[in-house]
Amino acid sequence: MFRQLLGLRLLSRRTITSSARRQADNGVKEKQKLFQEDNGLPIHLKGGVKDALISRFTMALTVFGSGYVVYELFTAAMPKKA
Amino acid sequence: MAHQAHAYHMVDPSPWPLTGAIAALLMTSGLAVWFHQHSMILMAIGTVLMLLTMYQWWRDIVREGTFQGHHTPPVQKGLRYGMILFITSEVFFFLGFFWAFYHASLAPTPELGGCWPPTGIFTLDPLEVPLLNTAVLLASGVTVTWAHHSMMGGDRKQAIQSLTMTIVLGFYFTVLQAMEYVDAPFTIGDGVYGATFFVATGFHGLHVMIGSIFLAVCLLRQIKHHFTSGHHFGFEAAAWYWHFVDVVWLFLYVSIYWWGS
Repeated sequence: MFRQLLGLRLLSRRTITSSARRQADNGVKEKQKLFQEDNGLPIHLKGGVKDALISRFTMALTVFGSGYVVYELFTAAMPKKA
Repeated sequence: MAHQAHAYHMVDPSPWPLTGAIAALLMTSGLAVWFHQHSMILMAIGTVLMLLTMYQWWRDIVREGTFQGHHTPPVQKGLRYGMILFITSEVFFFLGFFWAFYHASLAPTPELGGCWPPTGIFTLDPLEVPLLNTAVLLASGVTVTWAHHSMMGGDRKQAIQSLTMTIVLGFYFTVLQAMEYVDAPFTIGDGVYGATFFVATGFHGLHVMIGSIFLAVCLLRQIKHHFTSGHHFGFEAAAWYWHFVDVVWLFLYVSIYWWGS
């Protein structure tokens, strides 16, 4: 009986350690599941909230930057009167 | 959900080509505004936008390939053609600077003293740090090939080790070259010698930095189990780019450092 208990202890230790290591080690399967989910989201938003935040920030910078560059070019094209 | 009946990749609509184009516009106009109106804001916004575009676009490609399985053999073939064509365009880019160097140095004008190196220019000894740099890059070519063979053989640990060594060697080259730049007895403003030297080696150094970053991303992906022994094109592309950087250096070393000294 003791031998069986010992065997069980060793088995549980081995299983837990290796599965924990596997989870920390290889997250590709989880990512594959996430990005293959049929939710109609485009790839650049499919990762979740972080995607939406950084994407929105990028677009905001794009819109602001476009306006700013038009303003700068217009003012650069019109010399200031002395 | 409808499934495609072909092996090609119909990409999702993406905002990154637009944001990238705007970033290019902002960086170039920003450069002009910096020159004439002494304000760096536009250029800074453009640079940030460029970095955001690069990060998100390449992140999406990793997702499409590694997590969604879109990089089938025909798609991978297209990616290979693409990388080869890009590297070819870079070869032509450097060709221009070599043309400028040989144009100036094969027939040196009277203003230079009719000789090459020009009068008053003290060149760097090609057998000192430049030779070390050559050895460093050649060694890094060996380590990146080692990494590839490890990857193909499924040896995860060795692939990580040799890829890390490659990046360290690239970093070492950059540090050595930066020290050479600081200690050089001539500047970019020292006539056509300075101009050809610093523009050619400067763009090369930039490519070493880009290549090192590309390899570092591959290292991260290798650690995260993205690559398999049969499918690791991202790494192959980085290795091709790295070999290109090495070959450019060999031409620079022979032409500018050695023949030109």
